[in-house]
Amino acid sequence: MSIQDKVKINKLPTGVPGLDEIVGGGLPEFSFNIIAGAPGSGKTTLAHQFVFANATPERPALYFTVLGESSIKMLRYQQQYTFFNPDKLSGSIRFINLSQVVLEQDLGAVLKEITNEVEKANPAVVVVDSFRTMVRKPQSDMELQSFIQRLALFLASWQATTFLIGEYAEDELRDNPIFTVADGLFWLRQTPERNSIVRKLQIIKLRGQDSVPGLHTFRITDAGVQAFSRTFGLTGHLKDPPSHRRLCFGIPELDKMLGGGVREGDSVLVAGSSGTGKSVLATQFIAEGIRQGEPGIVAVFEERPQAYAERATSLGLDLETPQKDGKLKILYLRPLDLSVDETMHSILDSVQKIGAKRLVIDSLAGFEMALSPGFRADFRESLYRMIFALTGIGVTILSTVEVDESFTEFPFSTYSISFLTDDIIRLRYVSIDGQLRKIMVVIKMRGGNHAKDIREYEITDKGVVILGKRLTNYQGLISGIPVHSGRPDSTDEPSQDTGIEHGT
Amino acid sequence: MTSAPEMRYLAHRLLTYEAVAAKTSEPMESPTLRVYEKLRQSLSAFAGTAAFESLAFRALSQAKSEAPGLWAVQVVAGGSLKGLGESEPQIDMDKDLAGEFSAGDGGIILIDRLLGLLRIFLGESLTLSLLRNAWPAEAFDDRNSGNRRKA
Repeated sequence: MSIQDKVKINKLPTGVPGLDEIVGGGLPEFSFNIIAGAPGSGKTTLAHQFVFANATPERPALYFTVLGESSIKMLRYQQQYTFFNPDKLSGSIRFINLSQVVLEQDLGAVLKEITNEVEKANPAVVVVDSFRTMVRKPQSDMELQSFIQRLALFLASWQATTFLIGEYAEDELRDNPIFTVADGLFWLRQTPERNSIVRKLQIIKLRGQDSVPGLHTFRITDAGVQAFSRTFGLTGHLKDPPSHRRLCFGIPELDKMLGGGVREGDSVLVAGSSGTGKSVLATQFIAEGIRQGEPGIVAVFEERPQAYAERATSLGLDLETPQKDGKLKILYLRPLDLSVDETMHSILDSVQKIGAKRLVIDSLAGFEMALSPGFRADFRESLYRMIFALTGIGVTILSTVEVDESFTEFPFSTYSISFLTDDIIRLRYVSIDGQLRKIMVVIKMRGGNHAKDIREYEITDKGVVILGKRLTNYQGLISGIPVHSGRPDSTDEPSQDTGIEHGT
Repeated sequence: MTSAPEMRYLAHRLLTYEAVAAKTSEPMESPTLRVYEKLRQSLSAFAGTAAFESLAFRALSQAKSEAPGLWAVQVVAGGSLKGLGESEPQIDMDKDLAGEFSAGDGGIILIDRLLGLLRIFLGESLTLSLLRNAWPAEAFDDRNSGNRRKA
């Protein structure tokens, strides 16, 4: 059979931001779907969003309610969401209550009632909320299976896309015939994690098209359910061809150490202990980008945007004007119980809005603290996905990370995330001549030459300034307690590393 | 308890519309009953009989405190009204069509209260949307109001 012979399955918008991406572009038309989850998990809201997105006067939606929440109360609350359009209730969406027939008659009568209404309205969308209460009365397995089978067949024949909503527990997945018949199975979960609630959505089954596997976080806001795909909405975005462009810090000696700057699309880690100037370096990186006409985003977690911009001013860097000009956005992502995916969504939104080329995450420790405890366990994995997705669209990321200063070790990160980064710049304190001074070294640059030199630097009112040449008159600098070697200071040009991986 | 003027006006509109329709029915039905029955059918289908019954009980209870003439009226199983015919004052059609229902008329108070409850729970916009499913557009048209006709 050629591709042309295959039936084309139309994809309907779900009306849920982020969900179309997760289900592979939209919900298959005429599919028979289950939305399952515990009470309060957002099932009804999700169904409403789909209904409001697809119902028209010509092909309306029928929303059957059964026992449980009354339609009046349901609509009282649902109308608070921004997607709720009351005009659609005259003609496009009809709510029909089946309580009486469910209470007083058998499943055959329920099916007849649904059939009658569907034949009258010719709906594009049918929802039964809650289906679980509809089939709660004792009946044989065969009777239940036959009812579900006939309902699914009838609604598909009438070209309706259907949602059955139910309060199911996960251990019911195995034996319940409804899950066998369904084309799509959406499972909504909300789990308490210490003091936070983590909401996750899983597409357990979706016939006919590829959905993004795994658990996707979602949030219920005044706009309804908003889902955050694990792929961050970047499915189908081709990774840009490798760029040979180098992005400078605007610190000539450092740029020289980096072989001309960091490669575009790299992930750079600046590691060092408190006060070593990580944020200063990050600010200079973003400011230089703006000077070069490259819009930037700074995601801050530990201080407010105003304070961040004021600190930049004290270094002679103007971050106020580019913010006004739409060339820079400082995102303050502090609210607790964020998921990485939500944070990513905010960052991606901003990246797309201003066409950002550089992104600073200041800092990873602050980022982790802003996450819900439940997400902290997956921090490394989430960070990997985030960096992969962003660098994949050509954004150069500079992250700062605080490391515990030790005089016996030289760690790059407390997160063991150096494998996520292409380039690492390590800052540290050293004790020299009765002073606590600062040194900097480029640890690695994937795919590029970099200096092997250890350089001393200072933080001045001009930002990070690298002093003199490499420190050749000390040994054991990276231990933090060097010993004077008696050799004079170097007058050499920086010596270069080939950039070949040595396994950091 | 006072009701929102919008709901009072809407109740009046619907009663006026049904009063005109009732003139042609045989035997002639009470406009209040006609409005109430349409609301009962529409809202029972929408929210279930039990939900409608609860609203109707509450509306009747409120209306009785304002219109003692409704003392014998009851909401029975299924949400239907019983006893309205006997207690409802004879409606003067000319007066009704001129939009001059008196505040003491039990019918308009009952409908007003019922619509008022819907407005409290659903808001005005959604209440109107639901009513539009039960009545044709002309029932809400200003040109059909008693005041306009009078002019």
